[in-house]
Amino acid sequence: MVTPTLKLNSLFAVPFGEMRLVPCERLNQELESLFLRRESAEYKNPTPSHIAQEETFESRFNLFRWPEACVQELCNFMLNAVAQMVIETTSLKGEDIAQLKFQNHTWFHISRYAGSFVAHNHPLASWSAVYCVRAGESVPQHPDSGVLRFLDVRQGANAYLDPANVSLRRPYALAPVEFKLEAGQMVMFPSYVFHEVTPFYGSDTRITVATNCWFA
Amino acid sequence: MIAAPPIVLPLFATPLGIVTVPKAEDLNPQLVDLFSKRTPRDRAPHSKPHVYRSHDDLFDWPEQPARVLATEIFRGVCSVVETLNAFEPGQLRSFNIEARGWFKIVEQNGSLPAASYPLTAWCAMYCVAAPEPSATRQDSGVLRLYESRLGIMFQDATNSVMRVPFTPGHRTWRPVPGQLAVFPASLTHEIALLRSAGKLILVTARVRFVAPGQQGVGRW
Repeated sequence: MVTPTLKLNSLFAVPFGEMRLVPCERLNQELESLFLRRESAEYKNPTPSHIAQEETFESRFNLFRWPEACVQELCNFMLNAVAQMVIETTSLKGEDIAQLKFQNHTWFHISRYAGSFVAHNHPLASWSAVYCVRAGESVPQHPDSGVLRFLDVRQGANAYLDPANVSLRRPYALAPVEFKLEAGQMVMFPSYVFHEVTPFYGSDTRITVATNCWFA
Repeated sequence: MIAAPPIVLPLFATPLGIVTVPKAEDLNPQLVDLFSKRTPRDRAPHSKPHVYRSHDDLFDWPEQPARVLATEIFRGVCSVVETLNAFEPGQLRSFNIEARGWFKIVEQNGSLPAASYPLTAWCAMYCVAAPEPSATRQDSGVLRLYESRLGIMFQDATNSVMRVPFTPGHRTWRPVPGQLAVFPASLTHEIALLRSAGKLILVTARVRFVAPGQQGVGRW
C-alpha cells in the first residue's frame, strides 16, 4: 500500500520581513547623537495617538523630511527595504512601484527605564517597519525588557486547546511573536498587525525608528 | 416634516460586568494578611521583579478568607452570566463550575502582560488593594481590554471619534478594592504599568460552566 503524501499549505499567512544594516555602527552613532539632541518639546509629537508615557519620547512623524545626511541614509535603507518587501510579497515589480507615490510617516522613540508602548496598529497605512538604532541594556532578571511583541492576528484561535493543537510549530503556533531587536536590525510587517513594546528596564536608552508607509 | 431619529443598535458587543462584593472592607485586609503569609513559601514560577503571581490553586485553599472570596467571585460571575443569558429558573445552578484562581501583587513599575485564557468562558478580576490613582498617569495600573474589532484599519473623521460603546480602541477599567470585573476570557487584556507607589493586589479567576452531560471541554 502506498502511503498518501500530505500536502501542507499555509493559509492567511502574515508576511514578516527582516533586514540588517551592515555595518551599522557609524550611522547609528550619528542618529543617536542627533536624536538625543532633539529630544525636546520642539520635536516631540504634539498629537500622540495613545496615552503618552513620559519615559518614552516620541518625535513628530516627519523624520524622513529632515535633511541631515544620517537621516537620509536611514531613509534610503528603510524605504528601499519596504519596497523590496512589497516586491517579494505582491505581484508588483520594481517598475510598478516606481510609478506609485510612496508616502510615509516616520518617527523615533527614545525609551528609558520603565518606558513602554501600548499595543496598537496603524490605520491608513499598508506597511510598517521598525529599525533599531540602540537596543539598550539587557537586564537578565527582565528577559522580556523592551521586547517588540506582535500579537497573534488569529484572535480567538486559541480559545479551544487540546493536546493536538497546543504545541503547534511556527508558523502555526498560537502565540505572540517577540523580537529583542539588535542595533542595525529592521523588521517589516503589515500595518494591521497589533504590536507593542514591553517595559524597558535598562539603565540606559532604547532607540528605534518606526515608519508607516502607504502608496497611491 | 419631522424626521424620526434613527435607531442605533450596538451589534456584536462584548460584555464587561462590574460587581461590588459585599463586606469587602472586612474581607480585603484578611486577604492581604493571608497572601503575605502565603507568599514566602509559595514563591511561584511565574513571578518576576515587580510582580508576584501565585500558583493557580487559590480556590483550593482551606483558609476562611479564601473560601469567602471564592464564594463571592463565583456569585459575582454567576450574576453577570445570568444577566447576559436567558436561562430557565434553576438552569444556571445545574451547571458545574470549574475555576482556577490566583493572586498577583504588582509593585511600582510592574505590569502584567497581555493574556487571554483558552478553554475558559469567563475571566474575573477582583481587586483586593490598589494604590491611590496617579494624578498625572491616567493609565497607571488599569485593566486594559484590547480592541478586538477587525475593521479599524480604515479611519476617517467620523468613525475614529464615535461615542461609547462604538469608540474604536482599547477600553480600560481602574481596579477598585472590593470590585470584581467579569469579561469573556477570550478577550486579550493586560494590567498597564503601575506608576504609583504602593501595591496593586488582584485576584484573577478563570471560570467555565459544564452543563449536565456536556462533553468536549478539554482539560486545563
